[in-house]
Amino acid sequence: MSLRERIEEQLLSVKNPSRYIGGELNSVVKDKSKVDVRFAFCFPDSYEVGMSHIGMKILYSLKNARENWWCERVFAPWEDFEAVMRENNIPLYGLESLEPIRDFDFIGFTVQYELCYTNILNMLDLAGLPVLARDRGEDTPVVVAGGPCVCNPEPLCDFIDLFIIGEGEEVNIELLELYEQMKKSGEYSKEAFLEAAAGIEGIYVPKFYDVSYNSDGTVNSVKPNRYAVPSVVKKRIIYDLDKVFYPEKFVVPFSEIVHDRAVVEVLRGCIRGCRFCQAGFIYRPFREKSTAEIVRQTKCLCESTGYEEVSLSSLSTSDHSEIEKMLTEMTDYTEGEKVNLALPSMRIDRFSKELMEQLSKVRKSGLTFAPEAGTQRLRDVINKNITEEEIFSACKTAFEGGYAAVKLYFMMGLPTETDEDILGIADLALRIADIYFQNKSRPKGQRLSISVSVATFVPKPFTPFQFEAQITAEEISRRQKLLLDATKGKRYINISYHNYKVSVLEAALAKGDRRMGAVIKKAWEMGCKFDGWDEFYRYERWPDAFAQTGSDIDFYAHRPMSFEETAPWEHLDYMISKDFFIRENKRAKEEKTTQSCRERCAGCGVNKAAGRECF
Amino acid sequence: MLLNKTDLRVFFSKKGRAVYISHLDLLRTMQRALKRSGLPVWYSEGFNPRIYLNFPLALSLGVEGECEPMDLCVTEEIPGEEFAARLSAVCPEGIGIISAGKPVYRNKDIGSAQYLLGFSGECKALSGELDKMLARDTIEVMKHSKKKGMISVDIKPHIIIGERTLSDRGLEVKVCLPAGSEISLNCGVFSDAFTAQCMSAGISTRLNCAKRTNIYCKNGDFFK
Repeated sequence: MSLRERIEEQLLSVKNPSRYIGGELNSVVKDKSKVDVRFAFCFPDSYEVGMSHIGMKILYSLKNARENWWCERVFAPWEDFEAVMRENNIPLYGLESLEPIRDFDFIGFTVQYELCYTNILNMLDLAGLPVLARDRGEDTPVVVAGGPCVCNPEPLCDFIDLFIIGEGEEVNIELLELYEQMKKSGEYSKEAFLEAAAGIEGIYVPKFYDVSYNSDGTVNSVKPNRYAVPSVVKKRIIYDLDKVFYPEKFVVPFSEIVHDRAVVEVLRGCIRGCRFCQAGFIYRPFREKSTAEIVRQTKCLCESTGYEEVSLSSLSTSDHSEIEKMLTEMTDYTEGEKVNLALPSMRIDRFSKELMEQLSKVRKSGLTFAPEAGTQRLRDVINKNITEEEIFSACKTAFEGGYAAVKLYFMMGLPTETDEDILGIADLALRIADIYFQNKSRPKGQRLSISVSVATFVPKPFTPFQFEAQITAEEISRRQKLLLDATKGKRYINISYHNYKVSVLEAALAKGDRRMGAVIKKAWEMGCKFDGWDEFYRYERWPDAFAQTGSDIDFYAHRPMSFEETAPWEHLDYMISKDFFIRENKRAKEEKTTQSCRERCAGCGVNKAAGRECF
Repeated sequence: MLLNKTDLRVFFSKKGRAVYISHLDLLRTMQRALKRSGLPVWYSEGFNPRIYLNFPLALSLGVEGECEPMDLCVTEEIPGEEFAARLSAVCPEGIGIISAGKPVYRNKDIGSAQYLLGFSGECKALSGELDKMLARDTIEVMKHSKKKGMISVDIKPHIIIGERTLSDRGLEVKVCLPAGSEISLNCGVFSDAFTAQCMSAGISTRLNCAKRTNIYCKNGDFFK
C-alpha cells in the first residue's frame, strides 16, 4: 500500500481530514524525476495557523518558481491525527507529494513564536529523524530555520543545522543554488555544505560557534571555532519591495483557517519605535511597496484565489506615505468586486471619519485599537506615541459612525508599571463607555461592547526592553485581579488575559541561551507540545524540565540584564546598534518619548548599516 | 434593488481527495470557484453580500458523489453548457461540473438516493451475510436525531438492495435509501449495520468505497 492509501485509510477517523491530504487549489505538484532539490517547508503549528502565514506563502511560491526545485507544505498534525500516525507508522509527509519528508533535501522551519519550539522537535521525531542535529547522519536532510524568533537562535541550536537570519527571499535562493551545485559537482557532504553555506551573508551555522560562560551563569562570549566563518552574522534585507518576489497565487484551503483571505504586504519595517516591540526593530529599515504594485497584487490574488476578502498587511499600514491614495484605489476595485477590505494594524491617531467610511463600504467588521498602556506616563515610557485625546476622538468617530463594539489591546507588567497604570486601563475603558452613552444619536437596541485584551509584557531580544526582567507570575496574577475588581459590575466591559504562566515561559525561551536546548528537549520528552494552545499547555511540566536539566527559569525570565552583559544573541547583527537600545532604555526610564523616524532620526543605525538613505 | 435573476441547478461530481471536503467547506469552496469563474451569479442582498448557494441534499464526509445538485441564481441568461464548462475549469481537483440548467423539481420532491458501497473481504461470505441480514425481522441501528439525540431505528423497511458484484476485491452492492425531508438515511447507517452483521459472524470487512450514484424524486423520476 502506498503512503497515500495508508493515510486515506485513517482520515475519516480524525477531525477536519481535508487538511491532511493536500489537493488544494494552487498547490504545486511536480514530477519528482525532474526535480533536483526537494524542500519541506514546515510550520510548527496547526494547519489553520500555518496556512495563514504570509511568509510561508512567499517562500513556497518563490522556491517553486524554479522548475527543478519542489517546495512542499508541512504542518504539525493535531493530537488525534498524530496518535493515528504514530500507531500506524505514518511518517511526517509533504502535502503535495504525500511522501515522507525524511527523504527530502531540506527540512525548513519558520519560527514565528517561542511557544512552538517543542513542536519543532515533535515534527522531526514524527518525520523519523533524531531531534538532535549531531545525531542526524550524512544522508538525512539539512534542517534549517528562519523567522523572527531566530534573532535569538541559541535555544534551538541543538536541533537545527543552520539558521537563516533576516529576510528570506534572496538568501533562500542562494542557499539552494549552493546545495544544487555541490550535489551536481559531487562536492557535497553535509559538513562541506554547511561550511560553504556559512560564507553566505545571513547564514548562521551554530556548530561553528562556541559559547563560553561566566561564573555567574551569564554568557561570556560566542566565538567562531574555525577559520572562514564570520564572527558576527549580519541579517539579510530586501532593498526594493516593488521588485522582490511576491506570489501571484495562494494555496486555497478547503477548511477554514485563521486568516482565510488574500493578503498583500504593503510595507516592511516600522517608523514608530515602540520600545517593547521586537518586530518594530528587527524588521527595519522601513520600506514601502508602491500603490500601483499593491493594487496590482490585490487584483491578481483575488482573481487567482476567489477570496472575498483581502487584507493589507504590515506593522502599521497607516504609516504608508500614500495611504489615502492607496485606500481610494483599493476600494475602487474591492467595492466593484464585492471584496471586503480588511485593514489591521491601523494607528489610532490616523483613524478618521473618511477612513472609517471606506472601511465599512462592503462589510462592517469590528474596530480594534491598541493603546497598550492605561496612563499617558506609561505610554510615554513605552514610546507608544498616542494621546488620550486621540483615543477618545477615534472612539467618538467610531460610535457616531454606528459602531458599538471596540476592542482594546493593552499590556501588563511593563517596565515602571504601578497600580495606578493598571487602574488607568479600567478608567480608560469606562471613559470610552461614557463617550458612547453621551452619543444621543446611537441606534436604539444597540448594545455597547468594550473588549479589553491584556497581554503580559515579555522582554524580547533586539528591543530597548531586552535588558528588563519580567515581573513574577504572582505579581502578574495580583495585577490581573486588580484590574478585574476595577471593572466589576460593568457588563459591557469584557476583560481577557493571556495565561501568565505561558508568558513566563515565553520570556525564558525568548532570552534563553544555548543551554536552553536541553530544557526544551526534556520538556518535549515529558509530552509538551503546542505550548501556546490552552488545550495542550501543561505548565507544570516545564518547571520540572528546568529542574531536571539543572536550569533556572527565573534566571532567564525574571533577571534584569546589565547594559554591559553579553546577551546570548550578540553575535548576530540586526543592523541596530546596542548603544541605541541602551539610549532608548534610559529615555524610557526618564519617561521621554522618541519621535518617529519620519519626524526625526533617532540614530538606530539601520540605514547606515544597510547603505541606504534615511528619510 | 430589483435584479433580474434566474434559478439554475448545477450538477457536479465530488471524487478522489475532494471526498474529505465537509459540507460546510464545500459551500465555501464553491463560492470561491464561482468567484474565480467570473460567471454572473447572484449575491444575497443586505449587510453581508454573499454568493447565494443551496445544496438540496448534503453528502456525508468520505462519500463520493457522481451527480450532486447545487442551486444558485444567475443575473444574466447563460447557456448551461457554457456555465458548466467555465465553472469546471476553475474547480479544485476532484470536483467536476457535469451540467447546469433550469431546475425541474423542487427540493422537497427528493425521495431517495442510490449508493454503491464496496466492502472488502471474501465476497461469497459477505454476500451470504447480506442475505442473512435482509432476512432478519428488523435491522435496528442507532441514529442521531436532532430532537431526541441518539435513537434506535429499524431501517429494514427502508432498504432496497440492488445488484451485487462479487470479485476478489470483495462485495459491491447497490443500495437505495430514503432521502429528503421526511426520512433520510445516511449510507453509513447501512454500512455500519452490515459491518456489525459480518463481525458477529466472525467475518472481517471494511467499507472501502462509498459513492452516491443517483438522487430520485418521490415519483420515481431522477431529481433534475
